[in-house]
Amino acid sequence: MQRFLDPAVLAGISSLDLVAKTVVDGFISGLHRSPDFGFSQEFAEYKAYMPGDDLRHVDWNVFARSERMVLKRFKGETNTQVTVLIDASRSMKYGSAKMEKLEYARFLAASVIYLAHLQRDAAGLIVFDDEVRNFVAPSSRQGQMMRIMHAIDQAEATNTRTDFGKPFAHLMDFLRKRGLVVAISDFWENPETVIRNVAPLRSRGNELVLFHVLDPEEIQPKLKGSVLLEDLETGATMQVSQEYARNEYKGKMTAHLADIKDRAIAAGIDYFLCDTSKPLDAALRQYLAIRTGRL
Amino acid sequence: MGLFSPWFLAGALAVGLPIWLHLLKRSKTDPKQFPSLMFFEHRETSSVKHRKLDYILLFILRTLMLLLLALLFAHPYFRRSTPANKGERITVIAVDRSFSMRASSGASTRLDQAKAEALSVLNSVPANTKAQVVALSGKLEAMTQQVTDVGQLRAAINAIQPSDSRASYGELARYLRTLRDSAGVPIDVHLISDLQKSGMPPGFNDLRLQPGTNLTLHPIGPKDKPQPNWAVESVNAPARIYDNKKAHISATIAGFNAPASTRTVSLVLNGKTVASKSVQVPENGRGTVEFVGLEASFGFNKCEVRIDSADGLAADDRYPFAVEHADSKKILFVDDGRRPNPQKFFRAALESSGDTEFAMDVLSPPAAAGSTLNGYSVVVLSDLGSLPGGLEANLQKFVSAGGGLFESLGVNSISMAKAPVLDEAILGSAYAQKTGDRFYSVAEMDQTHPVVKSLEHMDGVEFFQAAMVASTKANVLARLSDGTPLLLEKRVGEGYVLAFTSSLDQASNNFPYKPVYVPFVEEVVRYLGRGGAGQPANMPVDGFVELRSGTGQQGVTTEVLDPDGQRVLTLDEAATARNFALSREGFFEVKNAAGRRSIIAAVADRRESDLTPLPEESQKLWIATGASNDPGVQTAQTAATKVDGAVNQISLAPYLLVLLLLLALAESVIANRYLRSSAQPLES
Repeated sequence: MQRFLDPAVLAGISSLDLVAKTVVDGFISGLHRSPDFGFSQEFAEYKAYMPGDDLRHVDWNVFARSERMVLKRFKGETNTQVTVLIDASRSMKYGSAKMEKLEYARFLAASVIYLAHLQRDAAGLIVFDDEVRNFVAPSSRQGQMMRIMHAIDQAEATNTRTDFGKPFAHLMDFLRKRGLVVAISDFWENPETVIRNVAPLRSRGNELVLFHVLDPEEIQPKLKGSVLLEDLETGATMQVSQEYARNEYKGKMTAHLADIKDRAIAAGIDYFLCDTSKPLDAALRQYLAIRTGRL
Repeated sequence: MGLFSPWFLAGALAVGLPIWLHLLKRSKTDPKQFPSLMFFEHRETSSVKHRKLDYILLFILRTLMLLLLALLFAHPYFRRSTPANKGERITVIAVDRSFSMRASSGASTRLDQAKAEALSVLNSVPANTKAQVVALSGKLEAMTQQVTDVGQLRAAINAIQPSDSRASYGELARYLRTLRDSAGVPIDVHLISDLQKSGMPPGFNDLRLQPGTNLTLHPIGPKDKPQPNWAVESVNAPARIYDNKKAHISATIAGFNAPASTRTVSLVLNGKTVASKSVQVPENGRGTVEFVGLEASFGFNKCEVRIDSADGLAADDRYPFAVEHADSKKILFVDDGRRPNPQKFFRAALESSGDTEFAMDVLSPPAAAGSTLNGYSVVVLSDLGSLPGGLEANLQKFVSAGGGLFESLGVNSISMAKAPVLDEAILGSAYAQKTGDRFYSVAEMDQTHPVVKSLEHMDGVEFFQAAMVASTKANVLARLSDGTPLLLEKRVGEGYVLAFTSSLDQASNNFPYKPVYVPFVEEVVRYLGRGGAGQPANMPVDGFVELRSGTGQQGVTTEVLDPDGQRVLTLDEAATARNFALSREGFFEVKNAAGRRSIIAAVADRRESDLTPLPEESQKLWIATGASNDPGVQTAQTAATKVDGAVNQISLAPYLLVLLLLLALAESVIANRYLRSSAQPLES
């Protein structure tokens, strides 16, 4: 099953929901024997009936025995709201291998959405660059997943830069309920700016997860000699030597990754670095570990 | 290994070009897209060593090509010794038999002394050594091949006969260079000669010998001072006379290394002395004597000018020359009588020349058409408006047989469609306008042609009208300032046609009023009357006499008798030879393919009369050229020659050129492959 999680293989599957199903089902089937994880309709607790509660969830067996109306709650019914943010800026178009970063981000987002669907969580989506390009309000209604999948599928990289301020401000306007916010981006921005923009969400009691999607060439560029580089977002060009890319750039990139991770952790934000050349399950595994622990 | 032009190696610096192309210029490539340049800084490559050469194979090929090119210009060579010869050498014995070797000092001539010296040299040649005997005069004659048979060599030396040619040391040096290159072994050369200074070539470089040529000079003649000699240096006599009393003959007597003296000069006609005079010849100077009148009989006469020099070289005391006594030639002037002036001007010019060579008759065109033209040597057509029937055919036949036709194409001739016999179209008439050029002048003249080469001051002649004659087959000898041909020539059979595109009187020009008119008429009739330029009656020894001119004369037998009355040509040569060389001094009787018989006097080159020998410094320099051309390597090469026999410089240029071509081919193929591979992604 591992081979189906290879990004290159997934890229060959045209249907995004099938991709998500392939990833998540295969991933879960490999995990179901673990005592620490479980996603079935597992009993969690009893809760006293309060007027207004859904009568469908009353445990009538208990009522017959004790004439007390209690509601049976399952783990899958945590009613968390999951909102996924996808960066669709020009830089996400980059891909040195067979898959672009945006494609990888699509698969990742679809997988997260599918997981939420399995748990019957409400799911929403924001596609952004320097503006909010598409917004699907979180919901657990029938057909929501397909709407989101379609919106993910339609997400295309534009000729614009990334601005984290606007999408997160927009999100705060619409987010009435606490939940889980998953941001998928290459975060080509100052870490301080990134964290400053997303931290208010955390302060409102939301769980924040940052998926930092990077191409292996971005982490360690392999230049041949002196190369003229062109910035995908600004169009600026720069003559760059091989030894600079090998030494100085690597150091700066490592520092950048460490900085953004430290700042995220300091702000109580979960941070995952996703290498587009590696299978999706690595990122999902970490995500689920965090997710399960905080249910 | 060495280089002929080592400074061309500086061209190897051009390898910087491919380095720049492949290494430095490589940074200027198409931009590569990257998500963000946030962490990049502008940084050029710090040093060349960190850069990688692109297209490494192409770079190597291009660098090699440039290096090879620089090496090719430097002209490398390597020295190859010839150990295989194992001391083998060739001895060349060159005996001078030029005209000056006829000089005698004592009982024997210089040639006899030279032959005796040659035999002495031959005796000193080691046994079983290849040797060759050559005779030197104007050209080199190999008397034997390179043989070891001493008897054959001795016989060849004894067989050398004196010649009347001039010695040419340059010819000997050229032969020795060729022999040295082809044989590949050192050669020992013994030149036995009087070493005349006059035998030197114009440039000393022509005497250059190849390294490995050991030249030994054996001077013949007085050792202390040059032998005095008097000679008849030149004779100026007309080749053809028409009036014996008007014949002028002048002779120059020269004294070479001789004191001032009085010499008696005799004029000999057909073996009989007809006049004698005394002339004072100053020390190392010249005296001139002149004879007026020559009682020559009709036909060719063998004449000589002799002096009583009593010196060592008696052969140059006589100077042969041939004189032809002929009747005056007749000129037919064809005039239609419309204008009397052309005839008057032409006759006046002919008579004022002072030569009675030509006599002029005048006939009308119909009369000329009906008469035979055989008795005339030149026919003149004076601006005829039309030709009566039969005249052109008559003229054509006359010219083809060797006659000369001179036609004036003035105003009347414009009405004719083409120039008679010349067979060139008359296109119209060129008139000088009052509004434009008031007259035309002569702009171009073929100064090499006998008719116009002696004409001067044609600049003052003004032409107002000229017939425009096409020049498709005829040669244009002179043109007017507007490009109209003024004088045209064409050879028809054995004769010539000259066309003058203006009138012979003052109707269309002022030519008759100018002094140049008289020599023009004189030269025209003289040129046409002799059937063209003609064969000179007196020529130097080794000069060539023309026997037949055109292909139409193939198979016609010619005849040449030498001064002894012997036939010079074989039967085959007599039927096919175009010319022959005058091999000796004296009178040659020649009958050419046209059937014309003549006597030609061949005279030895009088520079041979100067017996001054070559300076000793020049002799040493000449000998030194055989050791080496470069004084710097002379010692080394001499040493190498002693050990190995000879050292050859073999040029590497041909091999390098082939290698360069192969590299260029490989470069083309590989560069094409790179270009194709880089073009494919763009196409896709």
